[in-house]
Amino acid sequence: MAVQAGQSKAPDPGAAVRACDLVKTFGSIRAVDGVSFDLAAGRIYGLLGPNGSGKTTLIRLLTGMARPTSGRAEVLGVPMPSRAVLARIGYMTQSDGIYPGLTVGENARFFAAVYGVRERAPVDDALSMVDLADRVGAVAGTLSGGQRRRLSLACAIIHGPPVLFLDEPTVGIDPLLRVGFWAHFRALAAGGATIVVSSHVMDEADRCDELLFVRSGKLIARGTGRELRDRASTHDLEQAFLSLGADVEATR
Amino acid sequence: MSGRRVVAIFRRVAQEIRRDHRSVALLLVVPVVMSGLIAFIVREGQSPAVSAVVVNPAGPPGLVVAAALGVALEADGGSATLAADEAAARAAIEDGSASVAVLLPAEIAPGVAMTVTILTNGLDPAGEATQVAAVGRAMLAATASVTGIVTPTIERTTLFGVPSDDPMAPFAPAILGFLAYFFVYILTGISFLRERTGGTLERLMATPVTRSEVVGGYLLGFGLFATLQVAILLAWGFGSVEIPALGPLPSFSVGLGLPIAGNPFLAFIVVVVAALGAVSLGIFLSTFARTELQVVQFIPIVIVPQFLLCGVLFPISSLPEILQPLVGLMPLTYAVDGMRQVLIAGADLGTAALQTDLAVLTVVAIFFATIASLTIRREVA
Repeated sequence: MAVQAGQSKAPDPGAAVRACDLVKTFGSIRAVDGVSFDLAAGRIYGLLGPNGSGKTTLIRLLTGMARPTSGRAEVLGVPMPSRAVLARIGYMTQSDGIYPGLTVGENARFFAAVYGVRERAPVDDALSMVDLADRVGAVAGTLSGGQRRRLSLACAIIHGPPVLFLDEPTVGIDPLLRVGFWAHFRALAAGGATIVVSSHVMDEADRCDELLFVRSGKLIARGTGRELRDRASTHDLEQAFLSLGADVEATR
Repeated sequence: MSGRRVVAIFRRVAQEIRRDHRSVALLLVVPVVMSGLIAFIVREGQSPAVSAVVVNPAGPPGLVVAAALGVALEADGGSATLAADEAAARAAIEDGSASVAVLLPAEIAPGVAMTVTILTNGLDPAGEATQVAAVGRAMLAATASVTGIVTPTIERTTLFGVPSDDPMAPFAPAILGFLAYFFVYILTGISFLRERTGGTLERLMATPVTRSEVVGGYLLGFGLFATLQVAILLAWGFGSVEIPALGPLPSFSVGLGLPIAGNPFLAFIVVVVAALGAVSLGIFLSTFARTELQVVQFIPIVIVPQFLLCGVLFPISSLPEILQPLVGLMPLTYAVDGMRQVLIAGADLGTAALQTDLAVLTVVAIFFATIASLTIRREVA
């Protein structure tokens, strides 16, 4: 099922997520500068780059939250923005995006209702997956930062989306919880979901099936962690990022 | 107490406010503009010319008085015409072709005490008071010019009932409508701003929800609480529950006990529709605010001009000519007029004026709801 996209330039007809020469400018700033890729189903993709490299803008273009200046974003074969496809996308924003005045259960049920999920079970499942089943009655505003992050994740996966965009999901999360998060992501991918995780933490990168290095709005490299290390002839991903980035700067 | 720390905090405050251009404008410009507007209204305010109809059952002596009254009124730009009878005079006031009716007594003769009744519409108590005073002065001048006539006693009555002796009655319709509108605006504006700044709107927009669904949900949600608020406000305003004396406590009444000529339920509808307009206005304006403070800053721009121009404070008829077109643009004008129609004139759903008020308020609510929903996606993207 999973088509290995790798570095091949040929468009993949079965791509779950596709960017075609995406450009987004804000005034004179090119936040996303001609990015193209195909992402296959059932894999976890790491979108890596420093702060301000264009990761969030790229995710917003892919989810249809922003319109590209030029180029095209497609999810599940449909050009974005598309309301129909939004029902099949999970999006965990960088901010928690939960209602602090509602309880954990009320937040989860609200997003379930908005996604058209009427059954009770998916709500319970999502909450137990993030280990919040025993905090259903707690007001979200009183939760710890990590618990709020977990609730935010639960609200993003409540409708069992085949495509999941997670914008820096593990920021401010302790290492133990981070391991738990990655176990969730792996389980969702095993169920066939395409997961795009943005991060600027390189040590998370090796948990992804494939990495996309983003710098100054450009896709500077793509491959597995091992491939990228080999290309940069280093054992350190951070070093690989820097040297692959330097190549781009040099060829500019 | 450290002077340095105080200075540090002082500098921080000054730096922050200086960067918030809107706060600077609010502080420095808005008070000047507001006081200028108020001064303009008060100074340039007009006393609209009196157009009187005179009912004269007294024959020739009455005609003399009526002619003298006409001369006196014309000196101030007004006019007086004769009406066939009181019914015709009332009709003239109702259709707006006359502002005041002067009912002369049946007998006018030298030495005979006489009572003149001045009749007005009653919907705009403050505005009509200036008209009545002008007619009173003209009447005195008129009787003084006719030899032998006794200075008349002037009585006042209104088309819609007797003028209430409750000093709050003239203000009540406007105040009740204004308060409901104002608080609903603040509440909605700030809540929706939280939705925008808290990241939940971004997340909501990444779901299949549509903009109009969001605005519709907000209208229902805040509409529910606006409805509750209006119900309590009106029950408090019109109700008066006598609490009997209990032991050492004297008896007292709860509620303002304001007079209402029409159906309280109609008054309720008028205010609820106006409040729904305030909900959509709050959502719409929250687009242009980044902080709660900025939602509050819209008050002098959005709420205060409405307050000044809707007839709560100054009678609309007395506002300067160039502000008159603005009056028609203010949603509160229609809420206040609608309330007056119901409370004072006892209007029902068949009354044209009330129909107009309700129609305009509904259109305003739909209009702002529509542009509010149009602004949502843009804000997110």
